Amino acid sequence: MPFDPRPMLPGDAYDAARRFAEASAATLAPLHEPAARAAELATQWAALLELGWPGMLVPEAQGGAGGTLLDLAALAEGAGSVALALPLAACCGVAPTLLAGQDALLAELAAGRLQPCVALAGGITLEAGRLSGRALGVETPPRPSHALLAVEDALYLLDLGTPGAAFTRHERIDGRLTLDLDLQGASAQLLAAEAGTSVARACDLGALLSCVEAVAAMGTLIRQTIDYLLQRQQFGTALASFQALRHRVAEMYVAWRNLTGLVQAALREPGWENIAFAKLRLGEAGRFVAEQAIQVHGGMGMTEELPATRLARRILMAEFEWGDRHVHAARLLAAA
Amino acid sequence: MDETAELAAFRAEVRDFALAHCPPEIRAVVAANGKLGRKQWAPWQRILHAHGWGAPSWPKEYGGTGWDQRRRHIFDEVLAECDCPPQYHHGLRHLGPVLIAFGTEEQKARFLPGILSGEDWWCQGYSEPGAGSDLASLKTRAVREGEEYVVTGQKLWTSHAHESDRMYTLVRTNAEVKRQEGITLLLIPLNSPGICVREVRTIDGWHHVNEVFLDGVRVPVANRIGEENKGWTYGKFLLDRERLGGANVAPAFRFLDRCRELVARELAGPADALKRGQLEYRLLLAEAELRGARELGKAAVDAVTAGEPLGLMPSELKLSTADTVQRIGAIALDAVGERVASRFRPVDASGPNAAVEDIEWVQNFMYLRAKTIFGGSNEVQKNVVAKQLFGN
Repeated sequence: MPFDPRPMLPGDAYDAARRFAEASAATLAPLHEPAARAAELATQWAALLELGWPGMLVPEAQGGAGGTLLDLAALAEGAGSVALALPLAACCGVAPTLLAGQDALLAELAAGRLQPCVALAGGITLEAGRLSGRALGVETPPRPSHALLAVEDALYLLDLGTPGAAFTRHERIDGRLTLDLDLQGASAQLLAAEAGTSVARACDLGALLSCVEAVAAMGTLIRQTIDYLLQRQQFGTALASFQALRHRVAEMYVAWRNLTGLVQAALREPGWENIAFAKLRLGEAGRFVAEQAIQVHGGMGMTEELPATRLARRILMAEFEWGDRHVHAARLLAAA
Repeated sequence: MDETAELAAFRAEVRDFALAHCPPEIRAVVAANGKLGRKQWAPWQRILHAHGWGAPSWPKEYGGTGWDQRRRHIFDEVLAECDCPPQYHHGLRHLGPVLIAFGTEEQKARFLPGILSGEDWWCQGYSEPGAGSDLASLKTRAVREGEEYVVTGQKLWTSHAHESDRMYTLVRTNAEVKRQEGITLLLIPLNSPGICVREVRTIDGWHHVNEVFLDGVRVPVANRIGEENKGWTYGKFLLDRERLGGANVAPAFRFLDRCRELVARELAGPADALKRGQLEYRLLLAEAELRGARELGKAAVDAVTAGEPLGLMPSELKLSTADTVQRIGAIALDAVGERVASRFRPVDASGPNAAVEDIEWVQNFMYLRAKTIFGGSNEVQKNVVAKQLFGN
């Protein structure tokens, strides 16, 4: 029996998220135009709202599911194993964490009426009570209603329909949607003046969920790579018979297992340091697994429609979410 | 007390004992990344034995502690954290369990007490010039003559043979059958006539491995473990017992700490800023990998505790740590190499290495190349992993 990865958080949530992501990928596969994919993603996002995922971390009193980090992580793992192209970490993890204590907004979020993108990486400044500047490549739900913005130490909620706010959309290398936000004297609601700590905590949650998704994607990618090498014949034999390729796959597997260990430790004790080490290692191990999967697929690895390529690009993108390896290394070195 | 509290208390107890009773001059060798020999190990084993902790992995009836896998793991971790030597493995971890499982009562009574007290020193006669990673091809021959075997051949890479009393040795007793089925395990006193031990000069400048020549060495049949031609089974049993060895990542963490101190000390000047930053970053990458390996180690200990199969875990651990420790050694070499590698040996005095400060880092870099070679080379481990992953 060839390799089949075992999930870290098996169960109904994992299974349901995986099925959702498999259906999503199948529907998106024949769509080549970004606009057509964006429209399909909007339909899928509506279905995901119906399932209540953005309310997973929202307390029951605000209409959420009152779930734990592990409940959400199980969804992220199932979705990640098929590289779901929807902003699970940002909208179901980071957004509700940023809104903790804002009961009315949490209720709106759980009900799917508030659909914010989350821009915490800077680029926006405050002048005379109004916001200006640009935030680029911000991961977003397909039809965002608002933006949660970190501006210096403060946290704002901006209505994207407000005068002075404009945005254009892009598709990332992993097929997810982003927007470039352009603000020119837009007014926004101040949610918290001193939000630095909670923003950092929310970012860490995002980083952890990105790691969970990437670990899941890496497991599937390794399995698909093995399957491909077993069936692909060259030089009169299966590629799986060549030791150079077998050893490469063994290295991918060990890198994946090692990262899995770090992510499991961070799930058990989600302090910033554990998360930073996991994210740092994701930069190394994820990049290696993605690059080598493309390499050993040969020319097929260069094609967009190959499922393995989609997984590889998801893993590559995960590094740049919520701080890349150098950001997290800098944090760890500063604390040493 | 619940299990967690009990384990925490146990950890504290081991730490207190280690810090209070392991002699400072022995801990200094460990702390300086020196190479350990019988001179450090034997007294430390005597101290542990006197405290009743001589054999953590043996059952109580043979003088062991009877600890479960978790406690043994904690014990090993704490020793490393306190810069105490790990226990010398050849007697306690390798041969001891084989004797307990397969030895006669007479053999147990003869050999176990000396291992426990640290008075008898054992080495492992496995590898040969033509049988390294491919151990089953070993050729050292043993011919039965009455109540003796006559052993002729050559062993290689025999660690500590020059300071050992006895060698547990795999020999070929039948060349006609499948390779694994003609091997026997003999216990051979190294002062037997016909034995010659010669140093192998290794790239690290330390004397730790040897060639052992056996020329018509007469070994009593009473020194055979178990049955003739079943030696491969016992040898495998022994190696399987060692499969959790990689679960203890604590020594690698101490090595990382010491390397970090070295980098900070060596590269403190403003002109070194770029190099220091790069080495600090590489140290962080190594730490991340070691943290991942530590989790895999915990999972392996849990699996053994729960009686579950280890599967690929031993290979994962080896492949997750051996390279990493080499990389830490390379960081240290990058920090001091220019200053120290250039002064490896004195010309105007004898001795393997100069009295140059930090020379151990260069020696360790060289020594650590062996990490990915011994105990199943990384290439062999990758074969094992791939075979499982590909299903053939």
